Amino acid sequence: MKGLRPILLVEDNPKDLELTLEALERSQLANEVVTARDGVEALDWLFRRNSHEGRESNDPAVILLDLKLPRVDGLQVLEQIKNDEDMRHLPVVMLTASREESDLVKSYQLGVNAFVVKPVGFQEFFDAVRGLGVFWAVVNEPVPPRPRNQPMKVTEA
Amino acid sequence: MLGAVALEAGTYNVLAHVSGPSLILEFEQLGIGDAGSLDQVYPQVRAFLNSLQASSSIAELNARAARHVRDITGFDRVMIYQFDDQWNGTVVAENRNEALPSYLDLRFPASDIPAQARELYRLNRLRLIPDATYEPVAIVPEMNPATGAPVDLSLSLLRSVSPVHLEYMRNMGTPSSMSISIIDNGRLWGLISCHHSQPKVVPAHVRTACDFVGQMLAMQLSARFRNEEAVQRVGYQAIQSDLLASMAGEPFFIDGLKKNRDGLLRLTEASGAAIVFGGTVSRIGACPDEKDIQRIVAWLSSKADDAEVYATDCLSDHMEGAESFAEMASGLLAVSISQLHASYILWFRPEVIQTVTWGGDPSEKVRHGSDPQRLHPRKSFEQWKETVRLRSLKWTNVQRDVASAFRSTIVSIVMRKAEELAALNQELTRSNKELEAFSYSVSHDLRAPFRHIVGYAEMLKDKYGDQLDAKATRYINVIVESAGSAGKLVDDLLGFSQMGRMTVVPIRVDMNRLVKEVRDVLDTETNGRDIQWHIGDLHSVHGDPGMMRQVMQNLVSNAIKYTRGRDTAQISIDSEETPTETIISIKDNGVGFDMAYVDKLFGVFQRLHRVEDYEGTGIGLANVRRIMERHGGRAWAEGELNKGAAFHIALPRNQGA
Repeated sequence: MKGLRPILLVEDNPKDLELTLEALERSQLANEVVTARDGVEALDWLFRRNSHEGRESNDPAVILLDLKLPRVDGLQVLEQIKNDEDMRHLPVVMLTASREESDLVKSYQLGVNAFVVKPVGFQEFFDAVRGLGVFWAVVNEPVPPRPRNQPMKVTEA
Repeated sequence: MLGAVALEAGTYNVLAHVSGPSLILEFEQLGIGDAGSLDQVYPQVRAFLNSLQASSSIAELNARAARHVRDITGFDRVMIYQFDDQWNGTVVAENRNEALPSYLDLRFPASDIPAQARELYRLNRLRLIPDATYEPVAIVPEMNPATGAPVDLSLSLLRSVSPVHLEYMRNMGTPSSMSISIIDNGRLWGLISCHHSQPKVVPAHVRTACDFVGQMLAMQLSARFRNEEAVQRVGYQAIQSDLLASMAGEPFFIDGLKKNRDGLLRLTEASGAAIVFGGTVSRIGACPDEKDIQRIVAWLSSKADDAEVYATDCLSDHMEGAESFAEMASGLLAVSISQLHASYILWFRPEVIQTVTWGGDPSEKVRHGSDPQRLHPRKSFEQWKETVRLRSLKWTNVQRDVASAFRSTIVSIVMRKAEELAALNQELTRSNKELEAFSYSVSHDLRAPFRHIVGYAEMLKDKYGDQLDAKATRYINVIVESAGSAGKLVDDLLGFSQMGRMTVVPIRVDMNRLVKEVRDVLDTETNGRDIQWHIGDLHSVHGDPGMMRQVMQNLVSNAIKYTRGRDTAQISIDSEETPTETIISIKDNGVGFDMAYVDKLFGVFQRLHRVEDYEGTGIGLANVRRIMERHGGRAWAEGELNKGAAFHIALPRNQGA
């Protein structure tokens, strides 16, 4: 599906990963979802390094980034993206468990595009993820949304 | 003394001494029984020597010396006369019969015994005037033929004395006198002064015995003084230890000092003291009023040579206006106890005249018909009073040292307290950081499981709902609801803990607008209920807009919630201004509460209603109170069961706005 850019989901917790994928699934988005389980994996995929060397260039429509990650944490990933000439235009949404003020302030200083605290209620969480997906992956795209005729494609980075 | 010789005219005692190039021979007429030797008075002298050891104090020593000299000589009155630093004199001991009045404690100005006379006393230890009514006889020839100058009779026994002195003696009614100098290390310490109401001859051997007594007394005094100083230091040390214990027993050292008032005064033998610390003045004993003490402190700290210890026995000589409180504070001993602030301990001593008692009544009619303007001890006393006006007793070196040592003790206590505070501050910062870290990890790690429970239960219901019976579906709903409310609880608790750490940024908040916005947001909660709103024209407040919104949202939401059962709910919001505060009040006609539990209302997780009747985590009002406290304001409530409730918040009015 040429021109439809993927969503990069960076999440270490398998349960959160499953729930977020479920929410994205229910949103009926046509975009491919690439998952990364920590900051290093995410950066390798984005910058096409190491195991992702020579990956076909296809920048994500949006990066959904958890804040607390093993090895390289979310804020560091954000910082590297926003400090890179070619990457800084990519929309990054912090999708985090914390409403901690200092994290919010730091994220905005680094140029985050949105900051979303995962709601406890599943319906609210579902609404939030769908909203994000629709806005960044669809509204933000020149291509109009179309119903999908095949299961959502999920790739591990 | 050469001894007695018999000449034609009678028996004479011959004395010889060298004066310049000349040898001077003096022939003193001996009466019947006057000839004698030291052996005759030896028992009395020995008794004196033995009694010296038994004397426990300097005062007792002086008293014994006076008694023994009187025993040996038979004078009507024997006084011990002591010079101070300025050569003023005091009668410190006396022994007498009824023939002459008491002069004990009488003071004499330095001018009574001028420097020249004192020097003679120092060189020639014994002076005798057997009869002040004597006729002076000139030396023939007037000039020494060898030198062409008058003969120097300074060291002579039989020389004439100044007419002024003779007049003084006549006015005192004492025709006969003898004085023995008490010399300590070459300095004239004082005199043993003897008087008689009749002319009196003192034989040479008795005079020698008296001179011996005088010298023994001088040696004893000198030893005793050194000893007494050591004893004093030990005594002061004990007082200081006592004060230190008092200070250690109190969280604030000044409270310890105030409890041990007596110790603080005895430490420097002062009659009043003041502790000036951190702008407050604590007064102890007899001291100037607070305003004057503040003036003294201002003067002390403005002095260029702001020494650690300052002592004066005449404050009015140095500080302008100090005369007004000289009665209590002629003498000042001050130690500075802080480098940063004008903090001092001050000790005061009264004007010395206030402390003097004279055994003889100063107002007593002058006897012997003397003109009081003429030379007389009474006149001396008056003159002495003039010389010591505005003066206190001197602070001794020991007392200055004690004050200085005491200063060091207090400074180290103050410094230790400061260090303790710094350590405490560090500890607080550390535990605050820990608390932050704790709440951070709670927010991340405690919320996640609740989210997962809700998420998976919802997925279960969605995907397999058609295979479940009604009971299973209800169980899943309870799981979702419980995990949801647990998550809400965590969120509220976090919000509450963040509230304590968030910076308050107060600006002018338009309460009319805020209340309107809050009502709009909460409109969904009313579920189309019939609510009568009465909203007055509200005063603006000075507060953090985000926090004020939380407060109003909480209070309005509560009012909506607790009027749920009313057919017509009534909610009113009003404001009033006092000189210091702006008060906002929210009243409703809801279920109210029992005033017995009003204290619980604002506590964290405190609920006065069952959760199935009125939902909520019990943190809302705790947040309201906390926000008000962070603004320096207050929150309180009144209510009656089933009659309604009124909640009030008060914010300090911004004086500048």
